[in-house]
Amino acid sequence: MDALRLLAEGFAVALEPANLLWVFVGALLGTAVGILPGIGPALTVALLLPVTYGLEPVSAFILFAGIYYGAMYGGSTTSILMNTPGESGSIMTALEGNRMARSGRASAALATAALGSFVAGTLGTVALTFTAPALANLALTFGPAEYFALIVLGFTTISSVLGGTLARGLLSLFFGLALGLVGIDLQTGQARYTLGLPGLLDGIDVVVVAVGLFAVGETLFQAWKGSAREAVTIVRGFTWMSREDLARSWKPWLRGTLLGFPIGGLPAGGAEIPTFLSYALERRLSSRPEEFGRGAIEGVAGPEAANNAAVAGVLVPLLTLGLPTSSTAAMLLAAFQQFDLQPGPLIFTTNPALVWGLIASLYLGNAMLLLLNLPLAPLWAQLLRIPAPSLYGGILVFATLGTYSLNHSVFDVGLMYVIGLIGFVMRRVDVPVAPAILGMILGPMAEQQFRRALAISQGDPSVFLTRPISAVLLGLAFGAMLALPLWRLYRRVPSTK
Amino acid sequence: MNSGDSDSSSLERPGRDRVEIGVAVCGLALGLFVLAGSFSIGLGAGYDRIGPRFFPYLVAAGALFSGALLLKEALGGGQPSREDRVSRTSGSVAFTLGLALASSVLLLERAGFVLTAALLFWLVARAFASPRPLRDAVVGLALSVAAYLAFTRGLGLVLPGGLLGGLL
Repeated sequence: MDALRLLAEGFAVALEPANLLWVFVGALLGTAVGILPGIGPALTVALLLPVTYGLEPVSAFILFAGIYYGAMYGGSTTSILMNTPGESGSIMTALEGNRMARSGRASAALATAALGSFVAGTLGTVALTFTAPALANLALTFGPAEYFALIVLGFTTISSVLGGTLARGLLSLFFGLALGLVGIDLQTGQARYTLGLPGLLDGIDVVVVAVGLFAVGETLFQAWKGSAREAVTIVRGFTWMSREDLARSWKPWLRGTLLGFPIGGLPAGGAEIPTFLSYALERRLSSRPEEFGRGAIEGVAGPEAANNAAVAGVLVPLLTLGLPTSSTAAMLLAAFQQFDLQPGPLIFTTNPALVWGLIASLYLGNAMLLLLNLPLAPLWAQLLRIPAPSLYGGILVFATLGTYSLNHSVFDVGLMYVIGLIGFVMRRVDVPVAPAILGMILGPMAEQQFRRALAISQGDPSVFLTRPISAVLLGLAFGAMLALPLWRLYRRVPSTK
Repeated sequence: MNSGDSDSSSLERPGRDRVEIGVAVCGLALGLFVLAGSFSIGLGAGYDRIGPRFFPYLVAAGALFSGALLLKEALGGGQPSREDRVSRTSGSVAFTLGLALASSVLLLERAGFVLTAALLFWLVARAFASPRPLRDAVVGLALSVAAYLAFTRGLGLVLPGGLLGGLL
């Protein structure tokens, strides 16, 4: 098998001592940011971009991927012990996991979350290993029209699936697209929306927007809410689970993997949706549905597997098409751009050491994360004792530091704060921020592909509908908008008791 | 997650209705801003079939559309938002946070990273009603010094030294 040979070469890269160290650092950092509410993997990658500029690209991506996987492991710990999701992918885990913790079964909940994450993360990475090259081959046939149609499909699914209503998702998306317009138009050299400010001529850095929306927006929102923090359940010693727990967990792990990987790969915003679906599915299939809502282990095992498998799924379109489907993937795309690399089908042939080294590091990272999380979960839980004032004070300090070191520009810091204010308002009125991030990074790509497609067709707009793949993708995009009412019905299932 | 208020009518929730209308107005304003701004974009050399103004038109249309959709939902009492939080906004919290952000923009390159970040940390802790101001000052200063040293010495980034530049 060609994929196995390439994967073996990838392991040679990932097992270099320096890269092994980056896997470990990524796993550590990822677990920490997963556990801490208020910081997620997208923000962490954004803040680390300036720091990793001097690294080898493969080392930087090994670090980032470790953070992304690690956050999914750590997020469950907060959900279970504190009833506050550490990560958006762990929202469903809190439902059953915290009930289990309160009835003295925190140890079993943590164990099924860590083991399920490992099983799903590893199976998801296997699936990534074999589907990515195949999809990359298909993507080689894509022209500008197909890429444009693909991005439009991403826009519609992301904005319809995230947020309270379609209109809110769309508003966030168009806000992001508007931010992406700012700066000099690459094709014609015309300045757009720079308001006469020289700091805006190069456009707005997506890191400035991500840090503003996630770090500052979240901090202001929490200060405004002034919420008392939930009590933390204390666990001691090693976490493990009984034979019965294991027997009840392994099927949800596999079902969660089967849901998480493909849905993570669709342009639908990453890990959240598969966890909703997995929870609903486990509740329906359970032989003891009466336990749901009172601490059913299946309700932890399924969603925790789903969110890790979804991360592997997210990496498929990112690596093969250059299409991010989650906020963290958008930051990873920004990282590729920082290194002047373009993810897509060609990167599998031009830079195989990077792609396969990264994929191999995912296997190693999952094993490390299992070792870090299964026995040490009580130790990690100590992070939850950081008081909120210090936590959010620290978040703003690092947000300021990271933004300043991007371009050594106080203008960027001020802009980041202003965007943070907008992020606060968006949270306040329940407008999702992820579509804005994705719109901002995908908007310029969409425009470029759109103009290229029309240049090739000599101005004939029917090109988008006469090329079959493009037509199908645009049809799906249209269908995604219409399917929203059906989706909402389904999504309401887990939240109703 | 809301579970109970998905069928409440707009009449029962006047406060939230104002929020809905506010969001809709923001969407319409964004659309108008993008549209107005597009007219001041130069047209370029003119041999491009799709010029630099075309995409702004699309974005403006999209923002106006989503704003109008929100307005229709707000006035028609359609799909409600998930917003059901209790407001605790006080003037002093807003003032403290505003001061925190404004001071760090103004001071970063004058007083240097360490002092600015320590002040930022301290002010944010005030906004979160931390009961121990003295301890916050010490923690904030220690964190800022540690971050400064780690990022300048360890990772080779350049941060403004400011007033303490000679000491660290």
